Amino acid sequence: MSDLKTAPAIEKPKKRKGPIRWEAIVPAAIIIVLIGLYFKLFFDANMRSLAEFVGYQATGAEVNVHQLETSFMNASIKIGGIEITNPEKPTHNNLNIGEIRFSLLWDALLRMKFVINEAAIENISFDQPRKTPGKVKPPEPEKESALKKEAEKLKDEALESAKTKYDDNVFGNIANMMTGSSGEGEMSKLESKLVSKEKMKAFETALKQKQKDWEERLKKLPKPSEFQALGDRLKKVKSSGFSKPEEVQQSISEVQAIMAEGQKKIDEVNATKSDFDKDLKVTDEGLKDIRAQIEQDIKDLQAHFKIPKIDAKSIAMTLFKRYTNPYLAKINHYKGLFYKYAPPNIVDKNDKPEVKIQPRIREKGTTYEFGKLNAYPTFWLKKALISSKLNSSDPNSKAGNLKGEITDVTTNQLVTGKPTIASITGDFPSEKIEGIDFKLKFDNRTKDAIISSTFAVRSFVISAKEIMNTPDIAMSFASAVGGVNSNIELKNYKDLSLKITNQFKDVDYLVTAKNKDMEGILVNVFKEARTTSMVAEGKGTLPNFGLDITSDLGERIQHGFEKEINAKIEELKKKIKDYVDAEINKQKEQIEKQVNELRSKAEGELKKVQEQAENQKKLADTKINEAKHDIENRLNAEKTKAQAEANRRVEEERQKVEAEKKKAEKKAEEEAKKQAEKLKKQLGF
Amino acid sequence: MTLIFKQLFNFLKMLNSDTGHNQLAAGLACGLILGFAPFFSLQTALVLILIFVFRIQMGAAFLAAFFFKFVAYLMDPVSHEIGKSVLENSSLRDMFVEMYNMPIMPFTRFNNSIIMGSLVLSIILAPIMFFVFRAMIIKYRILVVDRFKSTKAWKAFKATSIYNWYTKYDSLYG
Repeated sequence: MSDLKTAPAIEKPKKRKGPIRWEAIVPAAIIIVLIGLYFKLFFDANMRSLAEFVGYQATGAEVNVHQLETSFMNASIKIGGIEITNPEKPTHNNLNIGEIRFSLLWDALLRMKFVINEAAIENISFDQPRKTPGKVKPPEPEKESALKKEAEKLKDEALESAKTKYDDNVFGNIANMMTGSSGEGEMSKLESKLVSKEKMKAFETALKQKQKDWEERLKKLPKPSEFQALGDRLKKVKSSGFSKPEEVQQSISEVQAIMAEGQKKIDEVNATKSDFDKDLKVTDEGLKDIRAQIEQDIKDLQAHFKIPKIDAKSIAMTLFKRYTNPYLAKINHYKGLFYKYAPPNIVDKNDKPEVKIQPRIREKGTTYEFGKLNAYPTFWLKKALISSKLNSSDPNSKAGNLKGEITDVTTNQLVTGKPTIASITGDFPSEKIEGIDFKLKFDNRTKDAIISSTFAVRSFVISAKEIMNTPDIAMSFASAVGGVNSNIELKNYKDLSLKITNQFKDVDYLVTAKNKDMEGILVNVFKEARTTSMVAEGKGTLPNFGLDITSDLGERIQHGFEKEINAKIEELKKKIKDYVDAEINKQKEQIEKQVNELRSKAEGELKKVQEQAENQKKLADTKINEAKHDIENRLNAEKTKAQAEANRRVEEERQKVEAEKKKAEKKAEEEAKKQAEKLKKQLGF
Repeated sequence: MTLIFKQLFNFLKMLNSDTGHNQLAAGLACGLILGFAPFFSLQTALVLILIFVFRIQMGAAFLAAFFFKFVAYLMDPVSHEIGKSVLENSSLRDMFVEMYNMPIMPFTRFNNSIIMGSLVLSIILAPIMFFVFRAMIIKYRILVVDRFKSTKAWKAFKATSIYNWYTKYDSLYG
């Protein structure tokens, strides 16, 4: 028994485990079931809360989503009862959408593509009252990024430009002109306003100082007598009749020394001349600047006396400024957004983003598309239906009858072979807006991507629409029926052209003006202008874009006023010009005279000295050449003489050798004869 | 996180034991594939399923994946060139067109040059590295573990109650 207690427990041999983790199947299955349950029970509710939270953060006001249903099997989503609170009027919604629903194709999803056969956005309405006021997000201190600042700056610049360009109260100025105040007495008080006069004073002082400086500098220039002295020294240098080569060398060295001295003086003169030319250029620029300032002064005086521009364009701009400014502000807003978010290759962003120290971004590689015709693109919304129907039982309903569809929204139009087209038609009877017709076409299949859109409203009612309200004049459309036609085209995401035509029918105007004559003219003009139009046109490369407004109303008003005040305008313009001429031209002429004097005097002196220096230089060159020629001639003569002597001696030697040779030959001949005779005798001949 | 740490401890424990060199080497080779593949891709999912279903050492796989992520990052330019040459190969074009338009296959994201290059590299390297890792583990056990176990310090530590407690705990709760 005790043995049993003390004996060590026999360890069971561990069961050898196979290559498959069978024991993991149950936990894995539990996890999968839990995930499935979450998606079945809680996912939709969580998504709904998330959508409301994101909407609230994005719009700054409460967003309600009443229903959100997703289906994994159908790959579909249905969102119902969307309400977006108006942050400025929390009792109302900015937008109500009855239902949004769409489903993705599983066939495409399995290919990592997102294809929606049909989507629907139904029951859209605007400005509907809420059951309870919506929560509005308190404003946050804004952290402005450089790009946002730039976008805002662009927007402000455009608005400011429109404001300063057309904020001139044309009608107020016309009224002033009509009262006959020509400002004659005021003219003399404006002397201090002439900037050109001040500029000229400063210029004249500087010019006098310059003249003084130049006189000093001219005095310091090498004198003609110095060049004469150099010339005299040169003349004394021996340039012919050399007996030895050393003499030539000596003469050349002497001339070169004089030349170096002369060159130094010439350099000094040339440097002075170059400085003078530069100075003269600056002076000429100054004169040019003064002339431009005089022109500007004339313009400023005309502005001071509020000389109106009686042209149709300015009048139309002034008239419809208030009417178009909200639209222009919107265009500028979107222009700013475009500039902010457009990729740098589309918009030239001069300000390069700040370079921060960061690790190397992982390379993205090249993604190839092996598409084929009729295949799925990465995203394709085949058709989206938009509809909104007026609830006839609710007389206060601001909903409208809208019907529209968007087709073929895709990431690759080349694969689908179809452009994206959107069209919406409808009306808002409660707002008396009829015949809304919007069409949009986005074609990215060709080399130049083109987005074109037309928007038209057949008729809308205008009541008590203020056009102008200044201390001099108040003008408004008491009632009118308007119509709009607009065409917008954006080429390559850059070149924007826009034309908006507004037609106003049955217009009743309300005009009151301080000046009764003016009021009379305007009332007469408007009596005949019951139908009028306004055309806003713009063309430009984004983000630079401006609107040009024309209206037949401008032309009518122009004709109405032209006869009355054109003569007065011309008279005042002439007075201003005469005044400027009298005040400034004399001084200007004097300055120009001074400049010319300085120019001719200094230029004359410098030219004289330069000429003299050049003459002496020539003289020195002649001297050297003479000396060179002389020694060359002498050397040539010596050479010829020596050559002749040598030739003579060679000839003499040759003759001598020749004579000796003949003598030796004769002697040898005689000796041979003698020997022959002797041999004959011996042989007995 | 606890699971990952547990797997890493298991990896160290197994590395220093006498068994499971094939599991370890397979884990490291799978880690290589995981490291070279993008996280959201079909190949990652397949390798993870393999790791879960078969008895491949998870700690080794995760550790290797972590390490090879950096290697893959440095190899990006090479992977890009390899992938580019494969994807631009005209003889394979029809196959790629079919693959691109067939279900499931696009989830491999094979049409990206870097992913394709990394895939090619990892498929070539994984079997080679399996044998290299296996040999290295065996060598490590002989050269390091055995020598360490024969030291007096280790023998002294083995005699302590702390070690006995640890072995008891390990056998009970592993």
